[in-house]
Amino acid sequence: MDDVVIRTEGLVKDYGKVRALDGLDLEVERGEIFGFLGPNGAGKSTTIRVLLDLLRPTAGRAEVLGSTPDAGGPALRARIGYLPGELAMSGRRTAGQLLRYLVRLRGGAGTDGIGPLAERFGLDLDRPIRGLSKGNKQKVGVVQAFMHRPELLILDEPTSGLDPLLQREFLDLVTEVRDAGATVFMSSHVLSEIEDVAGRVAIIRDGVIVDTDDVRTLRHHAGQLVELRFADRVDAATFARLPGVEDATVDGTTLRCLLRGEPDALLKAAAAHHVVAWSAEDRELEDLFLDFYRAPADDRRAQEVTR
Amino acid sequence: MAADTAVPSAVLAGVMTDQRRSLVLWSLALAAIATMYIGIYPAMGVADMASMVENLPEAMVNAFGYDEIATPAGYITSTVYGLLGPILLSVFAIATGTRLVAGQEEDGTLELELTAPVGRARVLLERLGALWLNVAVLVGVLTVVTIALVVVLDLDVAVGNVVAGSAGMLLLILGVGTIGLSVGAITGRRAIGLGVAAAFAVGGFMLDAIGPTVEVDWMTAASPFSWYLDERPLFTGFDWPGLAQLAAVPLVAAVAGVVGFARRDLMT
Repeated sequence: MDDVVIRTEGLVKDYGKVRALDGLDLEVERGEIFGFLGPNGAGKSTTIRVLLDLLRPTAGRAEVLGSTPDAGGPALRARIGYLPGELAMSGRRTAGQLLRYLVRLRGGAGTDGIGPLAERFGLDLDRPIRGLSKGNKQKVGVVQAFMHRPELLILDEPTSGLDPLLQREFLDLVTEVRDAGATVFMSSHVLSEIEDVAGRVAIIRDGVIVDTDDVRTLRHHAGQLVELRFADRVDAATFARLPGVEDATVDGTTLRCLLRGEPDALLKAAAAHHVVAWSAEDRELEDLFLDFYRAPADDRRAQEVTR
Repeated sequence: MAADTAVPSAVLAGVMTDQRRSLVLWSLALAAIATMYIGIYPAMGVADMASMVENLPEAMVNAFGYDEIATPAGYITSTVYGLLGPILLSVFAIATGTRLVAGQEEDGTLELELTAPVGRARVLLERLGALWLNVAVLVGVLTVVTIALVVVLDLDVAVGNVVAGSAGMLLLILGVGTIGLSVGAITGRRAIGLGVAAAFAVGGFMLDAIGPTVEVDWMTAASPFSWYLDERPLFTGFDWPGLAQLAAVPLVAAVAGVVGFARRDLMT
């Protein structure tokens, strides 16, 4: 069996004159949780819709579970669970009726999956769809994506709309199905949402993959913005040359710097002083893109970040 | 893996479930309107109607087929079969047909179905089948109500001729609705489906109305409405050539819809 579950080669998709994907290369291996990261409008949903044969490539090639989405057809989609980014549901039907309808579209696969999943996420199956909150609709989306135990899950911004507790539950579920052998391809525009579960991550920007990396490596590149407040004035120079510390600035008694890698050296140096307060904040994904792309238009902002 | 793809007519059954309520309301409304119009026929004096028609402009009399309004078959043709039935059913067929594919694609509610193990052609054909079934039910209701009134009021119209008129109306409305559904499916825009289907319905009616008055033969020849009523089915029964022409419209539109829908980018 082929170990590559999703493969795209030079995938191009134009909407009229607008190029949404500009030669996208992806390889997702069997059994991994693969994060697909990028800002809104970068082409994440377009890529996913090509994989599900809603969109046809302008050029290049996409392959899912060994066949093109078009040639694979219904038999291919039977092996996939899909959670749309913007889940639109309406009508008088209850959540349970909709899910049972979707089971019939899968030839009965997933019948046994509905109950346990609904219970796990606290979804009331007897409530009409149109009265459901965004979070509850998202639960319906999660249940229908996982109910038939697909070998490939394609999840577009899956955690949006779920409260933090359910996000946790959801990520546990993702890990469980991966452990059971499934492959998970999930998109997000926030690294922190998926970094706990994802093995590898691809970053898409303006329709191309700018980086594919292990999530830990990526987090290391991204670094953290650290702020330390001391009781007395400190000298920036003492901190600036520490390993992993960049862009150290001191404003009175407050030190700010970008930390990549282990915080050990910084903490030991700081411990020599009286530390009043501290914070360490993961950098936003957008800052990461600025690292990858120093496009002319971004120069000014990029400098601000790196100064 | 084939076992995990959609069971036959799952989509059709799903749409029918969603449509139940609307179908019941439309059935009641059509039955009420037909009952009202046909029910007052005996109360209207034949002489009154004849004199009323005499006072109308000739063009209007021709356009609405009022020249035979004094006979029961003429009256039912002019009111229920020639005017209210086609208008109301066209509204239903266009609204429903354009919503079932293009409308639901636009509002996103079709996404889970299109990404399920169902082929695009089947999604379209089963949704079209549901539309046809809905239209057939409504035409059936209209037919049953009309026949019941003809029998109860002892009107001089052959039951077979009512069925012949209904067959024409059914095919006409299937054409209108299928054009709406297919054009919407080909373009992905409900508004375009609405526009084209409405133009087909209104255009057909206008050509049929104007053609005889201005004595331009192609107008009548090109009008589906003429195919439907020109041979006066409520007087003469089944008009097979006319029915064949009417039947071609939904079939051609359905094929175009399947082909167009299969090639296009969806959910854009």
